Amino acid sequence: MNISYNWLKELIDIELSPEETAAALTRVGLAVEGIHPHKNDLVLDIDLTSNRSDCLSHLGVARELGVITGRSLKATSGSTAAGDELDAVPFPSVLAPEVVRVDAPELCNRFTARVIRGVKIGPSPEWLVDRLEALGERSINNVADITNYVMLELGQPMHAFDLDKLAEKRIVVRTARAGEKITTLDEAERELDETMLAICDAERPVAVAGVMGGFESGITEATTNVLLEVAYFKRENIRQTSRKLGLATEASYRFERGVDIENLIRASDRATELIVQLAGGEAADIVDVYPQRQPERTVRSANVASAVKRLTGLDVAADECERILSSLGIARISDGEYSSPTWRHDIAIEEDLVEEVARHAGYENIKDELPPAFGAGEYQTSEVRKRRLRGALVEQGFDEAIAYSFIDVRHDDLFAAVPEFLREGGEDKFVTLKDSVIEGSVRMRPTLIPGLLGALRLNLNHQRRDVKLFEIGKAFAASGMGELPTERELFTIAVTGGEVHEDRAMPARQLDLYDAKGAVEAALEAAGAVNCDYRPAEISHLRAGQSGEVVKDGRVVGTFGRLNEEIAANYKFKQPVYVAELDLQTILAEPSRPAVYTLLSRFPAVVRDISFLVPRSLTFAEVQSSAIGADATNLRAVSFVDIFEGKGLADDVRSLTIRLEFRSDERTLTDAEVDEEYSAVLAKLKNELSLEPRT
Amino acid sequence: MSDANQHIEAARTAFAEAFGPFDQLALNGSGLAEAEAKLRELGELKVRHTGKKSALAEAKKMIGRVAPEERSDFGQAVQAAEKEITDRLEKAEAELNEFITSARIERERLDVTIPGRRSRTGHLHPITILRQQIEDIFVSMGYAIEDDREIETDYYNFDALNIPEGHPARESQDTFYTTGGFALRSQTSTVQIRAMERRGVPIRIIAPGKVFRRDTPDMTHVPMFHQIEGLCVDKGITMAHLKGTVTEWLKRLFGEETVTRFRPSYFPFTEPSAEFDFTCFVCHGSGRVSSEQSAASSEKGEDGGELLTAHSSQLTDRCRPCKGSGWIELGGSGMVHPNVLRACGVDPAVYSGFAFGFGLERMAAMMFNIDDIRHMFENDVRFLEQFR
Repeated sequence: MNISYNWLKELIDIELSPEETAAALTRVGLAVEGIHPHKNDLVLDIDLTSNRSDCLSHLGVARELGVITGRSLKATSGSTAAGDELDAVPFPSVLAPEVVRVDAPELCNRFTARVIRGVKIGPSPEWLVDRLEALGERSINNVADITNYVMLELGQPMHAFDLDKLAEKRIVVRTARAGEKITTLDEAERELDETMLAICDAERPVAVAGVMGGFESGITEATTNVLLEVAYFKRENIRQTSRKLGLATEASYRFERGVDIENLIRASDRATELIVQLAGGEAADIVDVYPQRQPERTVRSANVASAVKRLTGLDVAADECERILSSLGIARISDGEYSSPTWRHDIAIEEDLVEEVARHAGYENIKDELPPAFGAGEYQTSEVRKRRLRGALVEQGFDEAIAYSFIDVRHDDLFAAVPEFLREGGEDKFVTLKDSVIEGSVRMRPTLIPGLLGALRLNLNHQRRDVKLFEIGKAFAASGMGELPTERELFTIAVTGGEVHEDRAMPARQLDLYDAKGAVEAALEAAGAVNCDYRPAEISHLRAGQSGEVVKDGRVVGTFGRLNEEIAANYKFKQPVYVAELDLQTILAEPSRPAVYTLLSRFPAVVRDISFLVPRSLTFAEVQSSAIGADATNLRAVSFVDIFEGKGLADDVRSLTIRLEFRSDERTLTDAEVDEEYSAVLAKLKNELSLEPRT
Repeated sequence: MSDANQHIEAARTAFAEAFGPFDQLALNGSGLAEAEAKLRELGELKVRHTGKKSALAEAKKMIGRVAPEERSDFGQAVQAAEKEITDRLEKAEAELNEFITSARIERERLDVTIPGRRSRTGHLHPITILRQQIEDIFVSMGYAIEDDREIETDYYNFDALNIPEGHPARESQDTFYTTGGFALRSQTSTVQIRAMERRGVPIRIIAPGKVFRRDTPDMTHVPMFHQIEGLCVDKGITMAHLKGTVTEWLKRLFGEETVTRFRPSYFPFTEPSAEFDFTCFVCHGSGRVSSEQSAASSEKGEDGGELLTAHSSQLTDRCRPCKGSGWIELGGSGMVHPNVLRACGVDPAVYSGFAFGFGLERMAAMMFNIDDIRHMFENDVRFLEQFR
């Protein structure tokens, strides 16, 4: 809101400089964002909060200055609006039905009209043009300018019609009929509906109530008789209409935030006075249709000063509280009861009074105090484990990503979600937004993988070929009708390119499946999720034969593997990409298991490495588990040594080397004892898996 | 006797002849292999001329056989010859060894300026870094960390927060809705309600999390960002506690000299309401920085205020993070609205509380001097690897 410093001084005697005025207003919550010169005036740019519609005028801002300086407001020049005259107006005017009929009193709470005959439309005098221009308004003609001027001065929007363009020279305020059309002042044709309030003449709408006047009934140079409308409309209705029409005006802005219903006559008088003065003509009596006077709103507070103390810690004397409140127009009606001014729509409860007192007493006078000690702080239960998990991944060279939670619908069904998350079915298993600000991105992500793949693509475009990313974040799945969607925290990685060393330009080697799996293992271990099994599985977004699932305590909690060719082609990935996605929430729901100490053996272990030709369909895990099951009581471990394929071997086999470790806790094993158990292992592998040691 | 002398003479002559090439080694320019070959050669020469079967050894054996009156002279002559031979041998040997040692050192000299060998270390997202720092501060101040749903009912996103139907904040086009009619939470204040329902009062929590607003991405707007919400409800809580708490954590994050400022404002879920600012962590409130400081504006001024006031005439450049105002506007706060307390079953006549909230992206953008907030969610490694 632009406020003219000179204009303020016409409304209140202040001795503050413009800078001091700005600082004083900012201090009480009317944040002055800038001071701009305009000719011999200075314009304050005030950023108002949405509750302070009363300050969308010079009068409102002057009222705040009145509280600050302790001075009272001056009357606007030659105003006929002395308080007493208000009630002297016929109520409702006996003339009213002939000129104004309000058919929708629930949407138009009060409507005044005044006819001014014999005006001469012309340019505004320089002072008026200057004032408007200083505040960023364009001068149109004297009558239109005056309506703007009075709005800026008193906060009351108003509209002037050319009386002779109104059919039967009368006004009917009613809701529009569906499909009824009006060309508004901006020369756009607008279609109204039956929720919208229209100001009509005997036949058709001549203005969209509270939003914009009609083009045809507007003031032109030929206008000689004016009908001045000053009204009060239901706030919510104006907001709704303005939204529906996509038409926000200075008038609608004020009406939807709330104007002062008791200020209409004063505003009308002020405008009338100026019109007669600048455009000539003769004003008729005002017509005031005010079917139901708004009941006075009151606020209960037994003791404002003690409420201020209780909520803010400020010590403000009772009479200072009263001074601040009464300067703001909040009058004490009786003990413990205050009236809420008709221009303040935001004063309803004791806490509101506390704020009024506190902001004028000064927030800077509130002390800095810490609340008394309470108890120990605590992290979220999973946070410590998540920090370890993040740490492990960072150590492994992963950068943490955060991608948007909404993704494009083209990712639908390309990716397998974590188990027990998405329901069966079509699109309705997803959570979908009504619309988005990023084209196509209306799906709340059921998986984090597309976000990371998008990031890989971006990095490849910037010549970053070697990238490891992870993200921890929520994925979303629809629940039953009317139920809140399921949210599940996932942990996802994507890797591509080579193994990078710090400060070395060339990657050491190309990453493969085992790098991705290793990262998952390290992350889970760091998070205290041990005892995970990894087994082959066909996963829709992963390449067959290079994919698996992660199993924890018998439950599948995630997948890992190489991105399949089709998706890789979609992203134009020319190098292999590996991804893994785990249901972190489920994994962390299990407490981490404490470490268990086992005795350190005093006896040496005997180690035997052994190689087999194994068919590609046979896994190390199967070989390991078969070996462990052998009748060999001193066999302590079966571990992986190496796998070799290619040169010199048939396509369908690999050479697998495993290590057997024998040890006793009681004695040093003899060669004969080891030989015996070693043979037992070999026999088991031969019988069960038809494996023969390579020589 | 002359036989014996002749023998010595012959041995000396033979050695001198064989040793010739070693007299002037002239190793300059020769390689390590060459020197090593010479050393081997020298070894062989030594064996030949001083070993058991050498003429010198033969001469030593003769000492006993010469006439006793000549024995002393002869013995001395043998000794002299032996000394001469070994001296020359040792000198050459030492010279060669020295050469070889230094040649080996040269050959194995390493370039210690080459970067050390280590795997590349990854990086946490700047939002995570900041969130963890702030969580640590609040946990140490006795707060519990909370989070909750990101997709909410209108009740939690609006009604319980004193934003009834028809309220401008609710009808604004800011909120994303699902086709099922649920809202993506537009502020973390929803967690105030959930946490009070779950934990009851008294309560002290902060709730970091994602929030969503229908803003088209540009340099200063993103449709998803992170907020941290703070809530403290107890008997006797006042705005002084709000100010004290906000000041305390900002001091812990930005340094003891940090000053906060509260300005009256409006939020539906607090009454009274305030926005809070803090003195800029670069210019410490002056709004001006020296040219050098602005070049390294991310570094904290070591002695801050004093230097700035003493030499204010030299502080010419407009400070960047605060745009020259000296203040950084951070967030909103206030005393929890009685309607919010009532919605959580808390009696506002008995309990009072404060709440505050602020955006992490904006804060990170200021702290790290990030020009375009969209970088936060693009996951460009060139961006991510700048933070640790």
